[in-house]
Amino acid sequence: MTEAIVTTTLGPDRTDIAIRGEIDLANFAAVQAQVNQAIDNRTIAVRIDLTDVTFIDSTGLRVLFALVATLERLQVGLELCAPESSPARRVIELSGLSSLVRVVPDGG
Amino acid sequence: MEGSGRDAGVVDATERLRQIEALTDAALAHLNVEDLLDELLDRLRDTLQVDTAAVLLLDADGSALIATAARGIEEEVRQGVRIPVRKGFAGRIAAEARPVILDRVDETTVANPLLIAKGIRAMAGVPLIDSGELVGVLHVGSISDREFGTEEVELLQMVADRVTGATRARLAATERDAALALQRSLMPSRLPEIAGLDLAARYIPGGGKGIGGDWYDVFTLSGGRVGLVIGDVSGHGLKAAVVMGRLRSALRAYALESSDPAEVLRRLDAKLLHFEPGEMATVQFALIDPSFNRIAVSSAGHLPPVVAAPGGAGAGLADIIADPPLGVRPGIPRSSTEVSLPVGGVLCFYTDGLIERRGESIDTGLDRLLQSVRPARSEEVAVEVMAHLVGATMAEDDIALLAVHRQVEGASDPLVLHLPAQPDALARLRSAARRWLAANGAEGEEVDEILLAVAEASTNVVEHAYGPGGGELAVLFELADGVVTITVRDHGHWREARGTNRGRGLLIMERCTDDVRIHRDADGTTVVLRHAIAGEGKP
Repeated sequence: MTEAIVTTTLGPDRTDIAIRGEIDLANFAAVQAQVNQAIDNRTIAVRIDLTDVTFIDSTGLRVLFALVATLERLQVGLELCAPESSPARRVIELSGLSSLVRVVPDGG
Repeated sequence: MEGSGRDAGVVDATERLRQIEALTDAALAHLNVEDLLDELLDRLRDTLQVDTAAVLLLDADGSALIATAARGIEEEVRQGVRIPVRKGFAGRIAAEARPVILDRVDETTVANPLLIAKGIRAMAGVPLIDSGELVGVLHVGSISDREFGTEEVELLQMVADRVTGATRARLAATERDAALALQRSLMPSRLPEIAGLDLAARYIPGGGKGIGGDWYDVFTLSGGRVGLVIGDVSGHGLKAAVVMGRLRSALRAYALESSDPAEVLRRLDAKLLHFEPGEMATVQFALIDPSFNRIAVSSAGHLPPVVAAPGGAGAGLADIIADPPLGVRPGIPRSSTEVSLPVGGVLCFYTDGLIERRGESIDTGLDRLLQSVRPARSEEVAVEVMAHLVGATMAEDDIALLAVHRQVEGASDPLVLHLPAQPDALARLRSAARRWLAANGAEGEEVDEILLAVAEASTNVVEHAYGPGGGELAVLFELADGVVTITVRDHGHWREARGTNRGRGLLIMERCTDDVRIHRDADGTTVVLRHAIAGEGKP
C-alpha cells in the first residue's frame, strides 16, 4: 500500500491541510476522504500543502480536481502550496490544474 | 472348586496373553493406533472374560483423561468421554498411579455415568506408565458380580505395558509427522521476488531432540518495505510447531500495523504472555526500508545476524541490542537498532541449531559461521554455510537459515518487474524504479519525470486492462546510450477511462518523456517510454 499522512490545522480564517507521502491509485480515495473530513461548511478558505508529497500522479490529482469543483460550489477559497520543481508542482502544471486554482510556492 | 477353576482360567489367560503379545509385532504394523487398541481390548476381554474394556489417554496438558479406545462400551469413545484427573474411578487410578479395584459401581465411585447406565457391577483398572510418566489408564468391567484378584490385576498390568509400548511408538511417529507437516506448511514455499534483493533459505528439522519451533519468514509491506523474520520457540514436537505457527502469523499482523520492529515484538511478547503463558521464544525482526539503505532490527534474545560487506573485510556479527526473549515477563522494553547492508553485501539470519554442537563452545560454531559467510549470491552463501556447519552430520536440533544479498543494481543491467495488476503494486514498482534509476545515474527531475510517466502507464494497466480476475503488469527498464527505455506491458484490453477527472494520463506521459509509443494487439497493450538522462548512465 501507498502511504500518505494528512494533517489538518484549523486557523481563524483558513484551514491548512498538509499532505505528506505518496498518492496514487492505491490510496487516493483514502486521502480524499481525509481531506473532505477536514473541511466543514463553516470553512472560509482552505490551503493544501503539497510540499512534502514525494509522489503524485494523475490519479492523485483526481482528489484535487474534485476538491476544486466542490469548493467552488461551496464558495470556499482554495490554494495549493507546491514549491517549484517539486513532484506535485510538476503534475499540477502538466495537468492544467494550475489554471483553475492559485498555486503558491511555499507555506509562508 | 473356585480355586481350581481360577487356576485353569489363569493358565488359559497366559496362553491368551501370548496372542496379545503377538499383536504388537510387526505383522500388525499397518494398523493405526485406534485399530490396534481395539484389537488388544478385544483379546483382553476374551482373556479376562470381562464385558467392557477401555483405554483413556492423558490429554496434552495432563488435566484430563480422554476415552481413546473402548470395547463393550464403545459409546465412551463416540461421546468423547473426558474424566478429570483425580475424579471418579479412572481419575483415581491416574492420580494415584496404581491399580484400583471396585466392587461397587455408583455415583460415589465413578465419574462416568455411562458405566452406571451399562449396569457394570465390578471394575479393575491400572495406570499406563511410560518411562515413569503416567500417559493414561486401562480398565475392565463386569456386568455380573465379580471380585477381581491380584492375578487378574497383574495380567491387566502386563497388557497395559503392551498398550503403552504400542501406542508410544505410533503416537510419536504421528506427532512427528504432524509437526513436520505443520512446519513445512508454514515455511514460505517460495520466497517473494524483490527486485534488488536476492534471498535464500534453509530449514532442516531436528533429528535428535525432534522437530522444534524454528522458523523464518519474508514478506513485503506497504511502500516497498520488506520484513525478515527468524525465530525459535523453546521446546520440541508438535506443541512447539503450533506455538511457532501462531507467533508467525501474529508477527505478520503486527508488522502491518507498526513500522517499528521493537513495537512489533513488544506486541508479540504481550500476545504470547497472555495466550500461551509458559512458552518462550527468541525472535528477530528486521525491517528493510524501500531504499534498502536502512535496516531496523529488533532482537528478542536471538543470536545477532552476520553481515559481510564487499571489500574483503570479512564477515562480522551485526552490532545490535539484544533484548530478552519473548515470554519471560510482561512489560519488557524493546529496542530497534539500525544495521546497514551495503550494495553487494550479505546479511545472514540463523537459529542456534546451526552453530551449536554437543561438547563444543558456541564461539567455535560462530567462528565457523563467520568464516563461511562472504558477500556473494545468497544461494551460494546458503550452500557454503550448510556445507561448512552441517556437512554430513544429522542435525540434533532444528536449523533455520535466511540469507539476504543486496544485489548490485544498475551497471546497465535491465530491471525486470512482474507485478500483479493491483493498486498496491504501484508503490513497489516505484521503489524498485527509484533504486534502479539512482544506480544508473539518473537524478533530480529526470527521476520524477520518469516515475510519473511510468505511473501513468501502469495505472492504466491496473485500472483498465483486466476484468475482476486481474492479471499481470510487466515493466522493463533498460539503459542504452544515455536513454532510459521503459516498456510497460499487459495482456488485457484497455477499456475507455470511466468517471470524471480522468484521461490526463497520456498527456502527462507525453510531456514527461521524449517519446511515447503505444501498441495494442490481440495479446495486450505495450507502452514504450523513452527519456534521456544527463548522467549518461554513469553514477
